[in-house]
Amino acid sequence: MTHLAEQRERAEASGVHHLTVLSNDEPARRARRSWTLALATLGVLAFALSFSQSWWKFTLYAPQYPHGLRLEIALTGLQGDVHEIDMLNHYIGMRHLVQAAPIERAYASYGVAGVCFAVLVGILLLGRRTGRLALLPALLFPIGFITDSFAWLYAFGHQLDPRAPLHVPPFTPQMFGNGQIGQFMTFAEPALGFWLSVVGVALVAAAVEYRQRAVCAHCAHAAKCKDVCPVHFLGNPGKLEKSA
Amino acid sequence: MQIARRALALGVLMSLVGVAGLSCENKAQKEFAKSQGSGNLGASASIKQLMAARHLTESDVEAALKTFVPPGKRDEYMIFASGGQSGQILVLGVPSMRLLKVIGVFTPEPWQGYGYGGGSDKILAAGAQGKKQIGWADVHHPNLSETNGDYDGQFLFVNDKANGRVAVVDLDDFATKQIVANPLVGSDHGGAFVDPNTNYVIETSQYPTPLGRDYAPLSSYKDKYRGVAVFWKFDREKKRIDPSQSFGVELPPYTQDLADAGKLMSDGWAFINSFNTELSTGGTLQGKPPIESGASQNDMDYMHIIDFRKAESLVKAGKAVTIKGMKVLPLAVSGAEGVLTLVGEPKSPHGCDVTPDGTAIVVGGKLDTHATVFEFSKIKKLIENKQYEGKDAYGVPILAFKDAIRGQVEIGLGPLHTVFDNTGNAYTSVFIESKVAKWSLKDMKLIEKLPVHYNIGHIMAAEGDTVSPDGKYVVAMNKMSIDRFTPVGPLYPQNFQLVDITGEKMRLLSDTPIGIGEPHYSQMIKIDKLHPRQTYAVGTDIYTGQRDPNAVDGGKERIVRNGTTVDVYMTAIRSHFVPDQIEVNEGDTVNIHITNLETAEDTTHGFTINMHNIDLSLEPGKHENVTFVADTPGVFPMYCTEFCSALHLEMAGYLLVKPKGA
Repeated sequence: MTHLAEQRERAEASGVHHLTVLSNDEPARRARRSWTLALATLGVLAFALSFSQSWWKFTLYAPQYPHGLRLEIALTGLQGDVHEIDMLNHYIGMRHLVQAAPIERAYASYGVAGVCFAVLVGILLLGRRTGRLALLPALLFPIGFITDSFAWLYAFGHQLDPRAPLHVPPFTPQMFGNGQIGQFMTFAEPALGFWLSVVGVALVAAAVEYRQRAVCAHCAHAAKCKDVCPVHFLGNPGKLEKSA
Repeated sequence: MQIARRALALGVLMSLVGVAGLSCENKAQKEFAKSQGSGNLGASASIKQLMAARHLTESDVEAALKTFVPPGKRDEYMIFASGGQSGQILVLGVPSMRLLKVIGVFTPEPWQGYGYGGGSDKILAAGAQGKKQIGWADVHHPNLSETNGDYDGQFLFVNDKANGRVAVVDLDDFATKQIVANPLVGSDHGGAFVDPNTNYVIETSQYPTPLGRDYAPLSSYKDKYRGVAVFWKFDREKKRIDPSQSFGVELPPYTQDLADAGKLMSDGWAFINSFNTELSTGGTLQGKPPIESGASQNDMDYMHIIDFRKAESLVKAGKAVTIKGMKVLPLAVSGAEGVLTLVGEPKSPHGCDVTPDGTAIVVGGKLDTHATVFEFSKIKKLIENKQYEGKDAYGVPILAFKDAIRGQVEIGLGPLHTVFDNTGNAYTSVFIESKVAKWSLKDMKLIEKLPVHYNIGHIMAAEGDTVSPDGKYVVAMNKMSIDRFTPVGPLYPQNFQLVDITGEKMRLLSDTPIGIGEPHYSQMIKIDKLHPRQTYAVGTDIYTGQRDPNAVDGGKERIVRNGTTVDVYMTAIRSHFVPDQIEVNEGDTVNIHITNLETAEDTTHGFTINMHNIDLSLEPGKHENVTFVADTPGVFPMYCTEFCSALHLEMAGYLLVKPKGA
């Protein structure tokens, strides 16, 4: 029986059926490590890149704005026809856009750095049972943005100054697709930053899954151990085998 | 590996979703555009039916198709036309001939708040002649700035014949930025013309006076009265004429008329015709002939040829005298040094136009049926060889007419001005015959004449006085319209007629009434050479191009009292002023500093205070300062005079002037 077949059998016997059993030789291990780290790094890179991009964009069309008014939301601020949109919003008593999400914008850089850090630490150090938790900070990143943005849109549309010249019933500006406010046809959609974060999540998910499935089968302890061993994942299995 | 590939594929897929999202937006825009559509007329009425109903010929329909600009579409060319007595510049689109704008130049213009309390007051005040503040102008010849002999779309210069002034319009914002008053003479006609790189704006006097306009009896006309060609130095960097670097060339009192600057081989030379070598001064009440006949006795008048580079160096060498603050090269120096040379031209000529290749100067006969084409190379050679026919009474050398010309073309009765196309043809306005004459510069033959309506004065072609004319269009600028338009009382509009010159035969395309003044010259420039701004940076003083030191930011509005001076730092934004209540005491000096905080295009606010003759136009970002003495106690509403928004009427406030002792 070859070493590999022996391992597979041991694994089957210990009920660890889902583990992909791969060759245990050094080049194969190096390749597995490299793929996992490369995917995770690319994912983190996508997150980092998204920091400097707009995450969401709104376009407003009206007869007197034939080319549309644009508003782009990035993690640290707003871009586009902010002045003009504020001017229009003042008619219905909406607050200035710059007053939205001040804390989020101030700490956005730490947030992104934190997410990147947490993802990498998770990939490197988590065990098999907790391995998928590495995806959590990544996943929370775009979801958190959407949730927070929606909350702010809701707040802005529901806290209108009662002394405004125009009285409109409270509303939540459309966050996806077409909407209509007065003479404005609005269109909202995710922008490059958001899509980068989604790509980042996908890459991190791939890294986590790959690591999760591929790491343990070659280990001499695989039969007994139900955890992915971080030391083993990064370290030299040869030494471990010897000690076994 | 497989999983990794799957993950990568997922990433790519997600990116594609993003791309799909982008295309969704285009769809939304299209949807919006559709919802804004003007609706279809439908093909209910056939074109034939329409033609019959409107009594249109096929030729009418063709002209309509050539000039119609559909709603929302733009013109191909822009005309800058003299506004005549209105003192303004008219801007029209071609081929639609729609009026796009009237630019306030020499005359206060309320729409632009030009001359009603803001910074423009200083521009108009600089146009005062002597002690007189002048409230109008006889605008004659607009000229676009040139680079290498071609329009560059940056500046426009224009002269006021009635008061001897030249204005600078910046085409960055289509606003008048400077008026310079000629201190030497009272009227000009040969201007404003620029040399191929706009180093100088040339302004030549019309009716001679003693230079500096001091008193001298008409009996001393020959000795004391003079003409002058002023070369205003244009400082492109500062975007203004620099009078300190400008100079005049004294001319004999021959009543100089139109002028043009040379180009290419004739660059550095200016050509001016004249019509009163007889030195007639009228005297109709004393039984002497009026100037019209007095000035028409000699068979020849003189075209003036000025080597202005030489003039410039002589002025630099200290050969000029200073009259009323302006350096003037004396006639004796000009004649002796070869700066000024004369050449005979058929009597009482009109128009003096350099051909696109710079080799010839075309002079219309007016009282002679010919257009005379002077050959520049011959003129230059004669001057170099000092081959003179003689000298005039002022010692100015005269060239022999026959040695200086390429030839003459029989045009018809009353040839005036000449413009050019891109295929070597010239188009001359024929005043008495009311026609446009097309003739070939190459073989000097008349090709065709087109009737125009009526009494054509100036003529203009698309970029037709540059080194590279566009052809395409000619505009006949007719002095009379007689029966062409619906009657509007005894003062008739002028008539601009657009002529298509692309075909073998000239085609009249449209009549456009001009009901604001009698335009003289105009120029037509391709739209793509113009790049005007849409807004100003917030707080801009448009006369410095910089942020005004008193510019007001949103939230920084305030009223500051200092003794009896009140400074109001104010902003305007849809649809309110901050502050909107100003309370002062009778006798206070009030300075209002007002910034339009708008940044979107076409969001202009106006500002007026009732009964104070204050009227400002605040285009987006513009800042204005206005000062007045609150000498009338009372209550004065102030409001925005541009319909800026649905709450425009609410964009108002009050100035309260408390009576003394109250």
